[in-house]
Amino acid sequence: MSTLVANYDWSLVWEHRSELLHGLLTALEVAAVALVISTAIGLLLALARMGKAPLSWFAVIYINVFRGVPALVSVIWVYFGLSLLVGISFTVFQAGVIALTLLYSAFIAEIYRSALGAIPRGQREAGLALGIHPVRVFARVILPQATKIAIPNIGSMFIGMVKDTSTFTVIGLLEVVRVTQNLNSTTFQPFVLYTAAAALYVVAAFGIDLLFRTIEKLLATPPSGRVARAVSRRRRKRLEAVMLRLESASSRT
Amino acid sequence: MRTPLPTMNEPLPTASPAAEHPPARPDVVVRLEGIRKSFGKNEVLHGVDLSVHQGEHVVIFGPSGSGKSTLLRTINLLEEPDEGSVRIFGVEYGPGLERGGTRGNAIELRRQVGMVFQQFNLFPHLTALGNVALALRTTKRMGRNEAEERAARALQQVGLLRWAAHFPGELSGGQQQRVAIARALSLDPKVMLFDEPTSALDPELVGEVLGAMRVLAESGMTMVVVTHELNFAREIGDFMVFMDEGLIAESGQRGFLDRCENPRTRQFIAAVL
Repeated sequence: MSTLVANYDWSLVWEHRSELLHGLLTALEVAAVALVISTAIGLLLALARMGKAPLSWFAVIYINVFRGVPALVSVIWVYFGLSLLVGISFTVFQAGVIALTLLYSAFIAEIYRSALGAIPRGQREAGLALGIHPVRVFARVILPQATKIAIPNIGSMFIGMVKDTSTFTVIGLLEVVRVTQNLNSTTFQPFVLYTAAAALYVVAAFGIDLLFRTIEKLLATPPSGRVARAVSRRRRKRLEAVMLRLESASSRT
Repeated sequence: MRTPLPTMNEPLPTASPAAEHPPARPDVVVRLEGIRKSFGKNEVLHGVDLSVHQGEHVVIFGPSGSGKSTLLRTINLLEEPDEGSVRIFGVEYGPGLERGGTRGNAIELRRQVGMVFQQFNLFPHLTALGNVALALRTTKRMGRNEAEERAARALQQVGLLRWAAHFPGELSGGQQQRVAIARALSLDPKVMLFDEPTSALDPELVGEVLGAMRVLAESGMTMVVVTHELNFAREIGDFMVFMDEGLIAESGQRGFLDRCENPRTRQFIAAVL
């Protein structure tokens, strides 16, 4: 037993920390770029789905197709299939972003659909009754409130995206799993290395969770938490200045 | 784009018990004619006519489902009538247009008509000040500083300047409704619409909202008020409209509540008061 334990060389993890962290960074980059694009496309898909007939059909079909495709299949299809179809050879990074965007824009469309549906009709009516252009009512009244509702779910999607980058090892993207495989092939320490890989994903998930919790607090009304308070302090100062000016003006008259 | 307002030469109607309207007063600002409206197969307005004059306070009351709110909402085209026309400030809207009538732009119309809702409908993601400033910035193209100062002045008018930095969720119902009134007033509307402004409030908070409305009424604002507060209606109302089952069952000048003849109206008033 003791000989077995002695065979686990945990110092490998520290020794190769820069390769492993670099792998994690690549995974986060692909996922982050894909998240931004997916959110934009997902919002458009949600609007299309809630909209009129031909466009809503397209959205329904898109959402149901791409929610069902696994990331591994998606990236192979993009890298080896779609690249032939459009005649562009994607880099592995680009292929990863496109593969994730195809899948997650479908999920985020559903998240936004339910979030937009949760905004009471009176909000839109109040905006319109004030004579605000319908597009601006959407941008300034509906969308901020829907995004606040969608944020926790979008955070979960981001964690899922980071994990899904592990399948991109098949196209040779140097993410966490690929780096681990490469190290394993020279050191033969699979337990140590894959434990480290798993730990990296968990740490990433924690970090993302923290990030989105902070965003949630910022969007809370009133904003809560240390970061939010710092951000809103400036706004409050502006308000107080306006009020002071007004109070002094009215006391003069 | 802006529609010129009809010039007003007449003095504002006084608060004294009014004589009957002269048959054709020239200062009509809102005229609804033959308004019909259906939701699905259910027709809720069966051809309603209503005129509102400059400075007049029209009170619409009646049982739930009688079409009061829908009628009010056709004035600023939150509901598009299926038949009939809305003429407001000399501009016409709706399918019942006379030939040659000017077809107006609903967004322009709404900039001259303020509305206060039963559920306040403040924007929960903005502070009280932000709620008022948003419309000023987008519809009057004010800069941020100018809009915030104008908004602060509007909040001051309803006695809520102290609460400017608070979010709607931190305010009482009565305070929220007063912010909503300030938000609508900040745009200098020519007509104010109130859709059961006190129905969602705790009884003890009704007074502060009615107080703000009373000040507004005394300033000569043209108002159309849907309400169940008949004592308040008796106090500020120049013209009373009783609606029942999608039609105006009975209407009359100040004092109408005490001398109406329709048994349905009397029954309703007795039940509410």
